[in-house]
Amino acid sequence: MRSSGFSFIAPLLVLMVFAFNLPILYMLGLAFWSKGQGFTLEHYEGLVEAPVYLRVLGNTMRIALIATLANVIIGYPLAHWMRGLQNRARLIAIALVVLPFWVSILVRTYAWIVVLGNGGLVNRALMWLGLTDAPVSFLYNELGVTIGMANVLLPFLVLPLFAAMIRIDDRLMQAAASLGAPPRTIFWKVYFPLTLPALAAGTLLVFILCLGFYVTPAILGGGRVPMISNLLDTLINQIPRWEQASAISTILLIVTLLIFAAYRRLDRKASA
Amino acid sequence: MKRRTFVAAAASLPAVNILSGTARAQSKEIRMIESGGASGDSIEKGYIEPLFKKTGIKVVRENPSSLGKLRALVESGQTTTTLFELGSGIILQAKKLGLIEKVDWAAVNPAEMFPEAKNEYGFGYQYFSTIMAWRKGVKEPKSFAEFFDTKAFPGKRCLPDFPHYCLPFALQAAGVPIDKLFPLDVDLAFKKLNEIKKDVAVWWKAGAQPPQLMKDNEVQYSICWSGRVVGDPAFGLNFAGGKADLSFIAIVKGSSPENKAAAYKLFHEMSLPENQAKAAEVISYTGPSPNLDALLPKDKLWQFPTSKQNKAVQYFENAEWWADNGEAVNKKWEAFKLSL
Repeated sequence: MRSSGFSFIAPLLVLMVFAFNLPILYMLGLAFWSKGQGFTLEHYEGLVEAPVYLRVLGNTMRIALIATLANVIIGYPLAHWMRGLQNRARLIAIALVVLPFWVSILVRTYAWIVVLGNGGLVNRALMWLGLTDAPVSFLYNELGVTIGMANVLLPFLVLPLFAAMIRIDDRLMQAAASLGAPPRTIFWKVYFPLTLPALAAGTLLVFILCLGFYVTPAILGGGRVPMISNLLDTLINQIPRWEQASAISTILLIVTLLIFAAYRRLDRKASA
Repeated sequence: MKRRTFVAAAASLPAVNILSGTARAQSKEIRMIESGGASGDSIEKGYIEPLFKKTGIKVVRENPSSLGKLRALVESGQTTTTLFELGSGIILQAKKLGLIEKVDWAAVNPAEMFPEAKNEYGFGYQYFSTIMAWRKGVKEPKSFAEFFDTKAFPGKRCLPDFPHYCLPFALQAAGVPIDKLFPLDVDLAFKKLNEIKKDVAVWWKAGAQPPQLMKDNEVQYSICWSGRVVGDPAFGLNFAGGKADLSFIAIVKGSSPENKAAAYKLFHEMSLPENQAKAAEVISYTGPSPNLDALLPKDKLWQFPTSKQNKAVQYFENAEWWADNGEAVNKKWEAFKLSL
């Protein structure tokens, strides 16, 4: 019985190992070899000697953190609001959140240029209302990148959060109210802790996706927001220093895994 | 289009068979990876179509061409792609990395060419310029000193996100004459860039960005490729202090002798001035024939990188300097970008 079950997953396993895992191992291994010399640590030494690449990694983390926070600030109230809607309105709200998934990320990113550009919708509206004299620079800076990333990633946070919120039993809040708790206390003591695991999972997912973002910083950053995937593109495609790129990727992977491990630890503590 | 080429192929087949019986064995179809856009179309119209009419050899194009792709091709041991387009600086790197083959110029038997285009490792097929341009209606700079003077010439700039374009222009702004640019004073160049970086709205990676950003009025001044802005009434431009550069087509390491033989046939077509004039109809970049000017339309000569009045005011890329210093400068560039 057991072996027959294994034979069903074998094709997928083989595909994963040969098409995904082995190439990744090869890629990670590249950083430790140099032609004609064999094993070497020079590519990691290069990173330490000229820490500019590590600083780009740090910058990437910072922007990922900002974009994730923006996502939480917008996403949490949105999911909460959707929970309180009537059936039909809720369906429409979900459709509106999911809709951007069906539009190419490239198209969505370019759309922001039309919306936020100097002659774009927002700036024209602001100037027409007399709120500003000159166009506000929304694009080609960190603000533009953050807006673009938050937009693309919002469904990743809202959907799991909404799924968790909808499962929360209304009677729990009613019970708390009947015991005399004011709405603020009910939210923080009852509602929020119940949504916390989903919020943490969604936040982590968004943060990790942010780390690897390429299209949005490339288009909305105007070359002024250095992020690690754009640097890797230069190192892989243009220079091409695959060994150096591999060393940076390894560090990025380790950092991501550490964050994930920290989350698992927190999660276990929270559920224990 | 497809059907027509097929019919032409069928019609020319018997003749080609007779010819190839006597000539050296060569492939009927080879593949090329070029940089794409109008440049790729100019290769099609100027060189690939005449080659096919004469010999029946098909050249299939793909793009874009990055050095990383070439490295991947060679290291994976492939032999399907024979031709690869590379910039003048990159061809030296590719040679160092052992990714391209020597050109057998005797087999190419080219028409007269500018000497720098007849590289040991590649065919210099297209001169292109990187110049200053602006949106019509703004104050027009006459030199890079003026272009970088953001007080006298107010407006947002769009500069290339590549140090080998930006540094020599910044040095001109600091007062270095174009014949004394190399070896580059890297620190001085970065000092100048630091002075104007707050007025640079966008650092571009794709050549299509600067004209679009100028049209949208996101920026008013750009450093961009001449072929993207000449002939468009929305823009003004000046070749003064610009960079003249040469794109090469090289032969991928490990290509079979049959494919190489076909590639040399294409190189021969590329050396003919009448074909280069056809290519220049598609894109305002010019081929390496010294006799080309006479075949180009007189009223358009001002648009081309190699016409006399333009060649005299530009500097020529120094690929050797970049091959030796490129990597160190790239790191400084990344550090500079972090300071934006």
